Amino acid sequence: MAPAHEQTHTGTEEPPHEGGLPQFQLEYWGGQIVWLLLLFTLLYFLMSRVFVPRMRKVLDTRAQTIADAVEQARRAQDEAKAMAEAGRAEVAEARAAAQRAGAEAKARANAAAAKRQAAEDERLNAKMAEAEVRIRASRDKAMSNVGAIASDTAQAMIEKLTGVKATAADAAALAAATAKGNA
Amino acid sequence: MASPMEQFQIKKIVDLPDFTIPGTNYTVDMAITNSSLAMFVAAGALILFFAFLTASPKVVPGRFQVVGEGVFTFIDDLATSVMGHEGRKYFPFIFTIFTFVLTMNLLGLIPGNFTATSQLAVTVTLAVLVFSLVLIIGFWKHGLGFFKLFVPSGLPLPMVPLLFLIELFSFLLRPVTLSLRLFGNMLGGHVALKVFAGFIVALGGMAFAGGFGLHNLGIAGAVLSMGGVVALTALELLVACLQAFVFAILTTIYLNDAVTAGHGH
Repeated sequence: MAPAHEQTHTGTEEPPHEGGLPQFQLEYWGGQIVWLLLLFTLLYFLMSRVFVPRMRKVLDTRAQTIADAVEQARRAQDEAKAMAEAGRAEVAEARAAAQRAGAEAKARANAAAAKRQAAEDERLNAKMAEAEVRIRASRDKAMSNVGAIASDTAQAMIEKLTGVKATAADAAALAAATAKGNA
Repeated sequence: MASPMEQFQIKKIVDLPDFTIPGTNYTVDMAITNSSLAMFVAAGALILFFAFLTASPKVVPGRFQVVGEGVFTFIDDLATSVMGHEGRKYFPFIFTIFTFVLTMNLLGLIPGNFTATSQLAVTVTLAVLVFSLVLIIGFWKHGLGFFKLFVPSGLPLPMVPLLFLIELFSFLLRPVTLSLRLFGNMLGGHVALKVFAGFIVALGGMAFAGGFGLHNLGIAGAVLSMGGVVALTALELLVACLQAFVFAILTTIYLNDAVTAGHGH
């Protein structure tokens, strides 16, 4: 149980092998080596069977979680990009539709305006033609009145000049001749 | 003043029956000493740490989990950068070495605690463990082809025997350097700490003794030594982490040699 040197130094505080390094007291090596190997073996088995696998699992789980999160983020980004693309396409389509509708409305309005214009023109033309007819009629009437006035005048002038009462027919012929000569 | 070496003295705490290795008459004193207690505390702290860490891990980690996962990924990156995809297989071993050595180093820095890694027996055991693992894996994977590790490719034939011997020698020295590096760093750091701490006591005593202006000198010296202890503790904190890392990275490189027999991957 006790190494030999302790029996020679019993009851003293003085370390044995005075002067040399205590590390070279070989009688203590055996116990240290055996205990160290036992503890090391225990530690090694605990490490390799329990602690290291557990820690690896945590690290792997974390790496997996991070990879998943990154993947998810990338997917979300792609989705958002696709959505933005779709939105942009929709906007372009809407703009095209609006432009088309605008153009259509304009064309329709133009057509309606042209139709209205044509109708108005028609009405005005008709009115104008009617007016022309009326004017022509009143002019002709006036002109015939002029003939009557002329023959009356000629009849009066002949009567005044000659003292002979000219017939209406003569006066009218004279007036017509004068009018012809003047014309 | 107590010897700065006294801190490394193995003391029995609980005496246990000796254990005789079967087939030999070599007996092992299985008593729980301050050294093995330090190992127990380190192993227990590690188990508690990782039990808490992996009890309810969150996908979004808290502060504590970030620290634990930082250590984990640090060594994981080291293993995969040196060994490639083979690194995963040997990772638990490298990780156990790193965390165990680191914990023993750090716990040893708490004043009054014993530093198990300042014991040559401990560092030699760890180094021999790594070395034997390298030998087993090397010969198991490559058979006698493992000796190719000692013959760099593209070597002129006459140089082969000489370089083989040099490479073999350096290979055989690996466990020695691996164990002595950690042992020496821990030993030296703790001796220096103890020496400076001893100065504080000695110079403080001189200050109390007084007389001949020694009073002020003693106080100044003690304060300076205290500053030295603080600075050295900070340095030792760095060394404790660094040496655990060096031990782990060398373990990884040696294991990679065993796996690839010097032919890359």
